[in-house]
Amino acid sequence: MKQHLLTLALVLFGATLGLAQRTISGKVTAENGEPLIGASVVAKGSTAGASTDLDGSFSLTIPANATILEVSYTGFASTEVTIGTSNVIDVTLRESITQLSEAVVTGYGASQIKRTLTGNIAKLKGEEIQSLPVPSIEQGLQGRTAGVFVEATNGKPGGAIRVRVRGASSISASSQPLYVIDGIPITVTSQNQNGAPLNPLADLNFNDVESIEVLKDASAGAIYGARAANGVVLITTKKGKSGRTNLEFDVQRGVGQASGYREFLNSAQFIQYFTEAANNSDALDGVAQNDPDSWTTFVKRRFVRYSGYADYTKGEIETDWQDEAFRSANSTQASLSASGGNDRTRFFASAALSDQEGILVGNAFQRLSTRLNLTQKASERLSFGLNMALSRTYTNQVPDDNAFSTPLQLVALAPITPVRDQTGRLYDRPTTTYYNGLIDLEDARRDVISFRTLANASANYQIVKNLVLTGEVGADVYNVRDNLFASRRTFAGQGTNGTGNSLYGQVVNINTKAYLNYNGKISERQNLGFTAGTEFQRSRNDQTSVTGNEFPVDDLKTLASSAKITAGSSTVTEFSFLSYFGRINYDFDRKYLLTLSGRVDGSSRFGANNRFGFFPAASAGWVLSEEGFLENGPFSFLKLRGSYGLTGNAEIGNFQQLGLLGSAAYNAVSGLAPTQIANDNLQWEKTGQLDIGIDFAILNDRISGEIDYYNKNTYDLLLNVPVPGTTGFQTQTQNVGRVENRGFEFVLNGRILDGGFKWNTALNLAFNRNEVKELAPGQDIVDPGSARLMNVVRIGAPLGVFYGAEYAGVDPANGDALWYLNKPGEERKTTNDFNDAQYIELGSPQPTVIGGITNTFSFKGLELSVTFQGVGGNSIHNGGGEFMSANANWFDNQTTDQLAAWKKPGDITMVPQARLGYVNGNQSRSSRYLENGDYIRLRTAILSYQLPARTLEKLKLSKMRIYLTGQNLLKFTKYTGWDPEVTTDAFATNIVAGVDFYAAPQPRTVVLGATIGF
Amino acid sequence: MKSNKIFYLVLMLALYLSACHDQLELKPFQSIDDAQASANESNVKAILTGAYDALADGDVLGGNALRNAELQAGEGEILWVGTFFDPREIFNKTMQTANNDATQLWLDGFNTINSANNVLAALDVVAEKDRKTVGGEALFIRAITNFELIRFFGKPYVAGQPNAQLGIPLITTPTRGINDASKVSRSTVEQVYAAIIADLLKAETDLPQTNSWRASSLAASALLSRVYLQQGDYAKARDAASKVIASAKFTLLADYEDVFNRDANSSEDIFAIQLTDQDGVNNMNTFFSIPDFGGRDGDIEILDGHLNLYPAGDKRKDLFFDGNAAMRSGKWNNQFGNVGIIRLAEMYLIRAECNARLNTSTGATAVADYNRTRIRAGLAAATTVTVDQILLERRLELAHEGFRVHDLKRTKQKVGNFNFDADKLVFPIPFREIEANSNLQQNPGY
Repeated sequence: MKQHLLTLALVLFGATLGLAQRTISGKVTAENGEPLIGASVVAKGSTAGASTDLDGSFSLTIPANATILEVSYTGFASTEVTIGTSNVIDVTLRESITQLSEAVVTGYGASQIKRTLTGNIAKLKGEEIQSLPVPSIEQGLQGRTAGVFVEATNGKPGGAIRVRVRGASSISASSQPLYVIDGIPITVTSQNQNGAPLNPLADLNFNDVESIEVLKDASAGAIYGARAANGVVLITTKKGKSGRTNLEFDVQRGVGQASGYREFLNSAQFIQYFTEAANNSDALDGVAQNDPDSWTTFVKRRFVRYSGYADYTKGEIETDWQDEAFRSANSTQASLSASGGNDRTRFFASAALSDQEGILVGNAFQRLSTRLNLTQKASERLSFGLNMALSRTYTNQVPDDNAFSTPLQLVALAPITPVRDQTGRLYDRPTTTYYNGLIDLEDARRDVISFRTLANASANYQIVKNLVLTGEVGADVYNVRDNLFASRRTFAGQGTNGTGNSLYGQVVNINTKAYLNYNGKISERQNLGFTAGTEFQRSRNDQTSVTGNEFPVDDLKTLASSAKITAGSSTVTEFSFLSYFGRINYDFDRKYLLTLSGRVDGSSRFGANNRFGFFPAASAGWVLSEEGFLENGPFSFLKLRGSYGLTGNAEIGNFQQLGLLGSAAYNAVSGLAPTQIANDNLQWEKTGQLDIGIDFAILNDRISGEIDYYNKNTYDLLLNVPVPGTTGFQTQTQNVGRVENRGFEFVLNGRILDGGFKWNTALNLAFNRNEVKELAPGQDIVDPGSARLMNVVRIGAPLGVFYGAEYAGVDPANGDALWYLNKPGEERKTTNDFNDAQYIELGSPQPTVIGGITNTFSFKGLELSVTFQGVGGNSIHNGGGEFMSANANWFDNQTTDQLAAWKKPGDITMVPQARLGYVNGNQSRSSRYLENGDYIRLRTAILSYQLPARTLEKLKLSKMRIYLTGQNLLKFTKYTGWDPEVTTDAFATNIVAGVDFYAAPQPRTVVLGATIGF
Repeated sequence: MKSNKIFYLVLMLALYLSACHDQLELKPFQSIDDAQASANESNVKAILTGAYDALADGDVLGGNALRNAELQAGEGEILWVGTFFDPREIFNKTMQTANNDATQLWLDGFNTINSANNVLAALDVVAEKDRKTVGGEALFIRAITNFELIRFFGKPYVAGQPNAQLGIPLITTPTRGINDASKVSRSTVEQVYAAIIADLLKAETDLPQTNSWRASSLAASALLSRVYLQQGDYAKARDAASKVIASAKFTLLADYEDVFNRDANSSEDIFAIQLTDQDGVNNMNTFFSIPDFGGRDGDIEILDGHLNLYPAGDKRKDLFFDGNAAMRSGKWNNQFGNVGIIRLAEMYLIRAECNARLNTSTGATAVADYNRTRIRAGLAAATTVTVDQILLERRLELAHEGFRVHDLKRTKQKVGNFNFDADKLVFPIPFREIEANSNLQQNPGY
């Protein structure tokens, strides 16, 4: 962009020769005195302009009648300076809060000034998320970008993160956005298999990131065609600037704790409550309590069994198993970067370490990463670039939330059970109620190590003025080694003298493209830019795995020691995309704006009849504030814009279109079995999206904002349509169904106080209404049919709506759980037979409102930045409730709220009578286990102090900043579980969301750090 | 000039890499196209192996179908103490229509039937000499699966009645696509039994008398005997059992203990699901056994109510053991052991029961057959026997092998407080299936 402006300036310079002129020179600096390189300086009303050089200096010959200089620079507010008599004019630019004059990356080497943008792109600067104590970059977007919903499935570092741009629109295909790092559409399919899927994006050191752009509407996304329907996240890494070499060192140490706890019965309560439950069951059975076959006798035997060496009647043991699952988690991060260059070569290099313990015992994440971004100017016309990042992550995984061996399932164990026997050995069943997950901590290892190379080589050639050809070859090579060893004492290794699994997965993703970019003037008042090109991508995924049992001793953990290799497999799968894309930006006088874009995509994933798809979009804008009639109005900037277009979603598995048979061996004889029904017509899922927006600024850009309305209509869904099981199949992938997301987004940025004490605020708020409009013909529901989970897809309801029986509390007469019948004519009639109750929609897992607000207060070098983030309108299903809050249906330790159980006729309570061994209201698909999921949380608070320039000079430093960051410090919610930000990693799918199942809460972390620049 | 060359180089490279449409024609690595699959004999035989594999699924004969029959009629003899909600519902007879174990039995059962139908539809590519065997095995697999499904999802077969109560959909052709014809409605119990018997009679004719671990003619006869018995057709049940016994291809093992936990079939096994340590699952082990032997937490406990049934000196009682703080069955302690489905002892007991009921002595007297398993168990030979004594012997000899609820239903006995034909003793048609197939009618009581 800067180069184009330079070129432009030179051309215009030539054109002005021969008129009456004077030469103005000066320096453009930021408020902190740093020179701004490449700032544009133009004499208003003329064509004369120049760019600043390495020192921020410029020299410009202007017509004698010019009276005003316009100075602008990306990320800074444009300024007009009156030209006086002096020929030297120094200009100080103020950093822009409005973003209106910021360049926004639009993909394929192009960028556009926000002022002239007609699409909807949310931009986040890398510095805003610099040094946040979170493992993965998406968490930086949380609460900072309008309409982008981000949720960590649980509090395990390196775990999956759910991101939904403008709502969830897909049922069977992926709903995650497309991630593009420096032009490469990267691999986001996790490779590990021994635990819950890990997040491949956690490989990225986000301190290397210059900016993140989220392409939200069709106009912005259409150039990514078949993969843009869920939004596109463009991540651009830092580049060096010519000038002195800047070294920056950042280090931080911190500690985290669970941000929420549940309250469980203590030993006395446990004994009392379960005895009560047994007595009640005996009364129901008509059996005397002292009968040897009575529940009461049975429960006493169990108490003895669960007490181990101790005597439960004496109250000797008081184990808080929840405490055993959590720990205080240390974290350390350090990074070193260097950037600089000269007029031919520019570089950015970094190395970083991030070492974060999880709050669950045994859970940890570590990342080592390096990066080198290099650009080299070979001639006036030709330049080369190479971006290369290497990273290694190491995750010490704990089993997924649905495993007995996962730490948080320890809460099911009885408080009367000692953790260890008198010899110091961990107790296991039958003393513990279930497997003691702490044994895994001592005797099992789950290591996932990934190595990743992201490399992109590019060449730019200027064919003629303003027209640049770019060729790029990119590779994303993702290698994962997932090793499991579980000794003979562990749940997994018991019975086989230990078990081990070693999995190696590799995804090689090669991407090539060639494209042209033009940016120039057609005439004095008309600007034109276009992009056109072609892209090819091929991704191959190899996996090899070996499983073995029978290990001689627990110290030998590799499969070389296994006496019995029980399974071995290697698999390969591939996909490819071949695409042609284009985009035209046109404006008249920077007032009337038009963008046309489109892409033709072909993919190996689709049926022979529908291999290629076309995805066009158009958008237009009108900068009203440039019109004479608004010149003196309240708006310093006002733009109307609108877009409509088509994007696609191709994220289904590979080869879904084919009728297939897979291997099915039996008794060591190889066999074949039908696995999939063919669908030759299978094609893209399509999203037609309308966006109407207003960008505005008032009070000389001091307050600016955006208001958007959008309507995202996703049709021809790639739906795994349930088919009659009598066919031998369960589903077929078809293009049927429709989902709509529509809503409003509001962005407001303001400099509220300006001066010595500054107060800036950035608010974003998004309202989304999600509704499933159509399914397969004749189908009005997709119900996975689980008795445990109640998320379904139902016409007229949001995706994943909770569909179950409506809990009606407890029959005061007998303590039975009751449900509303909800049958026509007798909706409010209650029943104690769960099967009689008609399922109804009970709530939605999807928030209807999400938002965040960041307030930054600064005084001299001191700054406090506070980000609140929240969601509302959603519910959470406590899937663990049927075990932990089940009025002592079985021996899981119960949450203390169960003590309110019905005891005698007339009792009014919501907790049914405790009955051991009987199901009394603990059916999971019931609103009994559904709660309001709204929350607001103090996501990030950063207090920092930046040393003043004078002190820095003495210290021979260019920068020194000390900061104290708190993550998740406060939360405001009615949810009674660990954390309302939850979707258990054991069950998470597009449909299953908002489910709590022994999921770890987010950590509450405090870190102290310092950044030093040399 | 130099720059120009580089430009053309970049351009050519990009075009070369981009302009290959055939790069979109990728083929899967782990699967083959269904058109090729039934194209030749070896593929059809491979699909037959796949049908055995489907039959051996943990939700079908890999264990759960047997376990469910024990759980559903466990009153006073066994106790479900596991955490899994779905088996507990079966045990308590409080099943929800979404009960996952019922759903999986349905889905995996019909998946097995589809594999068998794929074989049966492609028999013409199989060489003459193998055609009958391949077809017979597929028929056997289809019949035994239908038999498991009808006994759980339909009301009991009652002899001497029309048996017009709803059974299961009868599927006899392989699935090639999804259309309205895929929504098959339920046939009656009578029709389903007739189809099972027709399949087995043809399998009995077409199959060789023995066929290693695979389905054989004698296995078909043995299964026929079991089906007839369930129908109360004692004469046919007796004759089919007698045919198996008379073939002399099978013998009772000397020690009862040796019958179980086998890695390979014994001379007593007529048909068994084969497991290796690399393949297959033994869900009887999963739920009846304890962690020391690869089971879960000891989800099923054996109660005194069962143990007290054994007379003094009965060696079969010795097989029970104390593990994880309760009594356990010792029949399922081999995690990778076969799941026995039909063994010779059952044939003796069927023949004994039928002879006793019909007052005949086809093959042998009732008491002679009755004594065979008793003597092996270390008990004294009896001189006379009643039907009730044979039924008790059956309950002991075949305990925890998947017979209990079916025996109670055919003998019209109560299961706890439930009548043999109570609604709650029949599985619900899975919720997902009702949603996917509008032609299906739910069972009464759900």
